[in-house]
Amino acid sequence: MSSLTLSGIKKRFGKVDVIRGVDLEVEDGEFVVFVGPSGCGKSTLLRMIAGLEDITSGELRIGERVMNEVQPARRGVAMVFQSYALYPHLTVRDNMGFGLKVRGVKPEERASRIAAAAAILKLDALLERFPRELSGGQRQRVAIGRAIVGEPDVFLFDEPLSNLDAELRVHMRSEIAALHQRLGNTMIYVTHDQIEAMTLADKIVVLRDGIVEQVGTPHELYRRPRNLFVAQFIGSPKMNVVPLADVELPPGLVAPANAVSIGMRPEHLAITNPGSGIVSGRVAIAEYTGASSLLHVELDSGAICLVVHQGDEPQAGKRIDLRIDTGNLHSFGADGTACGPPTGHPRS
Amino acid sequence: MGQPATMAARAQRNDAPWLTLKMREAMEAWLFLSPTLAGFLIFFVAPLVAVLGYSLTEWNLLSQQATFVGLANYDDALMRNADFWHVARNSAVFALGLVPLNMALALLLALALSGRFRGVVVFRTIFFAPVVTSAAAWAIVWKFQLQGEAGFINQVLAGIGITGPNWLREPNWAMAAVIVTRVIKMVGLNMILYIAALQAIPRDYDAAARLEGASGLQIFRMITWPLLGPTTLVIMVITTIGSFKVFDHIYLMTGGGPENGTLVLAFYIYQQGFEFFNVGYASALAMIMFVIVMALTVVQLALRRKDT
Repeated sequence: MSSLTLSGIKKRFGKVDVIRGVDLEVEDGEFVVFVGPSGCGKSTLLRMIAGLEDITSGELRIGERVMNEVQPARRGVAMVFQSYALYPHLTVRDNMGFGLKVRGVKPEERASRIAAAAAILKLDALLERFPRELSGGQRQRVAIGRAIVGEPDVFLFDEPLSNLDAELRVHMRSEIAALHQRLGNTMIYVTHDQIEAMTLADKIVVLRDGIVEQVGTPHELYRRPRNLFVAQFIGSPKMNVVPLADVELPPGLVAPANAVSIGMRPEHLAITNPGSGIVSGRVAIAEYTGASSLLHVELDSGAICLVVHQGDEPQAGKRIDLRIDTGNLHSFGADGTACGPPTGHPRS
Repeated sequence: MGQPATMAARAQRNDAPWLTLKMREAMEAWLFLSPTLAGFLIFFVAPLVAVLGYSLTEWNLLSQQATFVGLANYDDALMRNADFWHVARNSAVFALGLVPLNMALALLLALALSGRFRGVVVFRTIFFAPVVTSAAAWAIVWKFQLQGEAGFINQVLAGIGITGPNWLREPNWAMAAVIVTRVIKMVGLNMILYIAALQAIPRDYDAAARLEGASGLQIFRMITWPLLGPTTLVIMVITTIGSFKVFDHIYLMTGGGPENGTLVLAFYIYQQGFEFFNVGYASALAMIMFVIVMALTVVQLALRRKDT
């Protein structure tokens, strides 16, 4: 097992800066998730750690060793690819044993390590099959198995669940979490799905345009996002951000001096008595989702505010007031930086 | 409401109620197949049947008399006439020389030119250009290059102190020369097929194998080469068939000589049919060649199926 240190890591493709200076510490045994929208550089950063892309500048350490110029196979990492990258002409057994074979591991040891990994991943019955004979979830497990048999220090996952259907994704997510608990290795996982990030990570790294927007635990990112981007990227449905002028803060509560907008998560808003809400508006659409309803409330300013509402949904067109616990309010400055929650003692 | 009802009425009027859906679909399928099928019957099956018929006759084009002789032409070719086996041996040597050389060179070129680097398209064009060059022009140019002392090749060799042979006048050298010049002409086609196959192999395979510690050679041997299998089979089949059918190249460069050293099957058939006018015998030879090529193709396909 190993820790990782990224210091001033940059990557340039031609004239394009893809990674623009990343500093990051990954503790030994930690599950770190790189999350961000498409094109933010998260997969490139992962491939740089693997050694599949050169590092333009900066330093990468795995354990105590600088890895910038070390061959991929000698970094002690194993990677699970989005496409699984299973060799189609080899059986599951041969796919899993490929790395051991090329490294000259003896057949007996190879067999026992494959058997051990297959037992962990319930692949025993599939060892003689070819990848084309497997379902998506089984292929995914084989890809993970191939990574396990190499006994790496660090596991790298590049959007491993994005080719699976929704149900299987949830299942495989829990399997990966269980695998981390069982093996205890350092794992770095790339995804654009913030739910995957929230459920799996010890630590989330939010990336945008090749820079780290925020690093923190899922709770930290959800409760105290550093800026508007993180605030709206983490959490589903995304956070409502309305101009300060549209919000009627409770008496006694003052927004920070530089705040221009207020953030409220849809699940923190609730319908209240007329005249006592922080914002008010008309229900434009009410979407029933079973456990709750998602209300699209059109504020007087024309902005749309989403509300996760429990119980019977109000009829479309009805005027409602919304309240929120003041501890759940966020405020942002003109440049999008979070400037702390409104302060003071609201008089009720 | 009115519009769908009208559409349904129109559909009903146009329908032929005596046709089931299955029959209608079958008719459509045959209709689509018919142009290709007609071409296949007229230009392949009919000539094949005709040649089979001619091969059972003794038919001299000059006297215009055809006499049914049964399998005598086959007996003559396979049992009595030593020329046939000499020619068959030449064809086999030509194929055994050309096919491996062509495929190995095509694969090497494809490996070198399947990547993306500055000027790659220029290199691909250079190696593909001979494929689209006129066979006659190609053969004539090489005939000059391979002349005895005056030829360019021998002049270059003389420059480094080697006395080159008279390439096209010595039987063994002539065979080597026609093989090599044919390979240079046709290698571009196989190169393109291999490049397409290499580019279809997902890059993740290479990345995964590198991460697992495989060397470039191991990646080629254990991943790339097996994945190129279907393409290799196609290339092997078409190149083998092409090598047995070679005619223009031999006709223009050596005329089958010297001492019948480059007299291959297709050229021998031409000679028998259109120089000596033994149409019956030539037809029997053509049928034998058809069977040889078909058998080789079936063997190659069977071997490939056994591998996978």
